[in-house]
Amino acid sequence: MSMQALKTSVIVLMALLLSLSSCRKEPDAVFHINEVELYSSGGDKTKRKTNEQYVAILYTNLFQTALSANDLFDIGECIQSIGDKELAREVIISNFMNKPGVILPSEEDMNADLDQFITDTYVKFYVRYPTSAEKEFLRNFISSNPYMTPELVYFSFALSDEYMYY
Amino acid sequence: MKRREFLKKSGTAAAATIVAPYILPSGRLFAATGSRMTNHVVLVMFAGGVRQQESILQRYLDDSQVGDPYAGNIMYNMLSGAAPEQKIVYGTGDGGMNPIPSILSSPLDQQGTVFREVQALSAGHYGGLNSLLQGSTVTTQGLKQKPVNPTIFEYLRRHGGYSATDTWFIGNNLVNSTALLNYSVHQDYGAQYGANFLAPTVTFGPQGQEFLSDAKVYHPENELDPMYQLKYFLDNTFEQYGSNLETIGNTEAEKQSIKQFLEHMFDKTQNNSIDHAPVVDNNDLQSVGYACEVMKWFKPALTVVNLNSVDTCHSNFTGYLQNLHRADHAVGHIWNYIQNEIPEMAGSTVMLATPECGRNQNPNAVLDENNWLAYDHSDQNARRVFNMMVGPNVPSNLSIGSENNPVGITSDSMLTIADILGVKPEVQNGGMLAPGTQSLFDRI
Repeated sequence: MSMQALKTSVIVLMALLLSLSSCRKEPDAVFHINEVELYSSGGDKTKRKTNEQYVAILYTNLFQTALSANDLFDIGECIQSIGDKELAREVIISNFMNKPGVILPSEEDMNADLDQFITDTYVKFYVRYPTSAEKEFLRNFISSNPYMTPELVYFSFALSDEYMYY
Repeated sequence: MKRREFLKKSGTAAAATIVAPYILPSGRLFAATGSRMTNHVVLVMFAGGVRQQESILQRYLDDSQVGDPYAGNIMYNMLSGAAPEQKIVYGTGDGGMNPIPSILSSPLDQQGTVFREVQALSAGHYGGLNSLLQGSTVTTQGLKQKPVNPTIFEYLRRHGGYSATDTWFIGNNLVNSTALLNYSVHQDYGAQYGANFLAPTVTFGPQGQEFLSDAKVYHPENELDPMYQLKYFLDNTFEQYGSNLETIGNTEAEKQSIKQFLEHMFDKTQNNSIDHAPVVDNNDLQSVGYACEVMKWFKPALTVVNLNSVDTCHSNFTGYLQNLHRADHAVGHIWNYIQNEIPEMAGSTVMLATPECGRNQNPNAVLDENNWLAYDHSDQNARRVFNMMVGPNVPSNLSIGSENNPVGITSDSMLTIADILGVKPEVQNGGMLAPGTQSLFDRI
């Protein structure tokens, strides 16, 4: 066999070997959401959110989508421009509640299973389960206040001190 | 009713009458130990680094630019003196050739008292602003840190019984850590005694219009009350873990008032009906319009307004002159507005105006469109400023000190405010003032 023919054979053989080793069936992709580890209590939260962190998480909680970096910066500046930060957050929440696209449970769903609504709200905002005492208070409070809608419950949680911590 | 019973009841009522006036709205038991001279004070932190040469000394270009020996006064709402006759660049129109007409019929140095040569405690902005508000400079004060010592806002609120909406700080933007100045981190004072703060060019500017102006309106009793009740329950539950957020302590009624004010301002901004000065073409003048609206709505005991547009002097001397002329226009507008548009404050307001720092003796190398050199602020000349006050109990047409006879330091402004509003003894006894600080009334 000539040298040329030998070289060609080697190249073909190497190419065959490479293709065999590289041709693998692509694994089936599986997408899932990582389970979030819940806090055992509010006492586990020791760090305060920055204005931007607060707004980003609030927006996601309410709209189930992320805020753009530009909007995040602008809202952060809005909060900085008002001295009473709690009042600034209240105005921001009021504005968010007036925007289209806010995702809130209906009153019917809330009243159909109040305990589940309370638990879901705690998990959503506080990333923990409510204590028995908290659940009982909220159950009684919502039941006895006819104007207390899911929106107002969300408002209270979004404005609360614990929501500013993680 | 028998005589003994009547006297017993009368005595009880009389005792209650004696005690009752000392239970102040803030819950404070005793009034301030000092007496109040008048009800309102406005402090203008003027205006971002102002050289004595272009302000009180009225040298215009003569002292700053080689080959341009043109003197004159470009601050004729605040100072008496003829305007420059040549090389006019500070006004409106093409090249700034049209000076802005004076608002006041007589300048403030004729209506009040001027301290012509005052020592600034700092050659920098944040140090200077701190010296005006906390009455001292602290070597450990960081530039991105809240004031270390209590501010005048906190002294007033803690010792004078003033509420949060009695004390306002209006910043023209968020730079230079301005938003940090409304209260200190001092352990005995702090946020609970802080002032309300607004940076109106941000709050009511494009960002505010997009994210703050469209608040949903809730019914106060049916919706807001239960919402707050639930919030308080949640906060009380969380408080057991020791974490609590700082708050400047606006009452619920004050918060409602501020929200209504914000809503009203957004409407007025959209209708272009904010009570601005006749000329509004820079950040300072934008802010001053809203500052006037704050005073009209809340009638605060203390309003502090920060102007800093003249800081363009780092790179543009022409811009510095234009902004200095406009800062003077802003001060004139504030005084005119108080006297004519706010009856509750007219005749019962003392206004002080002082730069937080000066600028250098010698220029840097940056040339502007007129081939003029710019000025930074770091040398001894940057520690030279003036001070001015006008209003009830302030002698008129009085000039104190001169270029060769400096009188006063910038921390005097803070103690003067305390003096006027009745907390001077408490501030002095706190022991945190810069050495040599006196009320300006004591220097007269």
